[in-house]
Amino acid sequence: MADHSILIVEDEHTLRRLLEYRLGKHYRVRTAANGEEALERVAEEMPDLIVSDIMMPRMDGFALQAALQERKETRAIPFIFLTAKADEQSRQRGRRTGVDDYITKPFDIEQLLTRIGRLLERTKLFQSQLDARIGQDFSQRLMPKRLPDVAGWKSHFHNAPKEAGGGDLFDWNEPEKGTFFITIGDVMGKGLQAKFYAFSFLGYLRSTLHTMLRDTRSPATLLRRVNQVLMDDPPMEETFASLLLLRWEPARNLVTYANAGHCRPVVVSASESRIAPHSDLILGLDRNAEFEDAEIELKPGTALVAYTDGLLEQEMAEGHQLGEAGLSESVSRSFGKSEPVRHLLEGVLSRSRRSEFADDILVFWLEREAAAAVATTTPQRQAPRWFSPFAESAERR
Amino acid sequence: MHVTTMSFAVEPWTQQTVIVRVGKALDFRNAADFKAACQDQVRAGVRNFVLDFSETGILDSTGLGSIFSLYRQVSPMEGQVVFAAVSRPVQVVVQLTRTYKVFRQFPTVEAAREALR
Repeated sequence: MADHSILIVEDEHTLRRLLEYRLGKHYRVRTAANGEEALERVAEEMPDLIVSDIMMPRMDGFALQAALQERKETRAIPFIFLTAKADEQSRQRGRRTGVDDYITKPFDIEQLLTRIGRLLERTKLFQSQLDARIGQDFSQRLMPKRLPDVAGWKSHFHNAPKEAGGGDLFDWNEPEKGTFFITIGDVMGKGLQAKFYAFSFLGYLRSTLHTMLRDTRSPATLLRRVNQVLMDDPPMEETFASLLLLRWEPARNLVTYANAGHCRPVVVSASESRIAPHSDLILGLDRNAEFEDAEIELKPGTALVAYTDGLLEQEMAEGHQLGEAGLSESVSRSFGKSEPVRHLLEGVLSRSRRSEFADDILVFWLEREAAAAVATTTPQRQAPRWFSPFAESAERR
Repeated sequence: MHVTTMSFAVEPWTQQTVIVRVGKALDFRNAADFKAACQDQVRAGVRNFVLDFSETGILDSTGLGSIFSLYRQVSPMEGQVVFAAVSRPVQVVVQLTRTYKVFRQFPTVEAAREALR
């Protein structure tokens, strides 16, 4: 695997070539003949590790080490001293200045390779732990702390982000009493980068909705605007996202939605389960993309189930992906259960090839209760409700 | 001439048009290579890309994102990105994201390159 780059700093030509050749079998190797040259190489491209001699003309190993320590960006590059100086004094001096390892000449190349491998492994582990922590923090902020609470309706939500997962997002608000806007989306890409894009995208999304809701209640009009923002703003140039925007009016038993290339929701009741067919182009691709509103009337004992692609792409025991048809059927089996989302996910997993989900899983289940005679919104807060990512723990019912 | 960048074979057709053999997978592992290979072509003056999906079993959202980036780059210059010999797994993704509205599809590479002549 040549994905790590190593910089060798050695004034003696033969040894430099030997190291270049031997390390070159495992890593991308660049060389420098002294400290000054080494700093130039580092400025061109940051190496993952430096192996350096101490005694060199112009700028020696200690001076190079000191120069790297001065800059924040270079301070953390793993550093191995390779030198003829076996004396304890040099060793001590090297240790004090943040040298990670010290190998005396004549040395065994296998030993050097082992130490390089170990240092790189440690750095990678540290990086991935950091990524996981940041990723988890983003994931938490991309998800709701609580759910809409309306008499006669039940909502369920489940989200399980994967460390190496993508940029799933879910958000809702109630800008006017009795009218909810619910957003389910997926920003393309994988890992921390996708989560970061999703996080900034959610910011755009919220401010766009906040501003536009004064003039329109149409999800399609809102998506058109969000799409233009994505197309016109250079920082969002590489951001593509699928998005399902629902306007839910419980008093009218109505969901009006526009779909920008997102997984199509399932509408399910005790007797049937179907895919809500309407969908338009994904966001960020075409400035003139058109979006249309579609309506779903939710009769008593009917649920709308929205989700992200991790569920559809789950590989089943037979070797194919779950897909829309498979999901629709699974949703149907879970309808009427006390915890339908949990039942759904457990059911899918039990029929999967592996015992866990391969990607991020996000499911939102909105159900009109069968027994509800009249669905009215419970009078609650007067002011528009926006939830804060900093609020307390999720409330589920 | 036949240039291979990692797993992507790029074959020139006309001065403005190339055929990219996407291969078995375009996903988070090689999307950056795909992007780099296409970048080189755009810099060399290529505007139209025929993507050959005949052997493609995996196209994930990162892979699709790299195709979108290419599209956004060439479309203001009157360039086109078209799909040829779309396999079933690729068709599923294209359907889901409704991107067939943007990327013209052709049953074969030959049909695609004739259309772009």
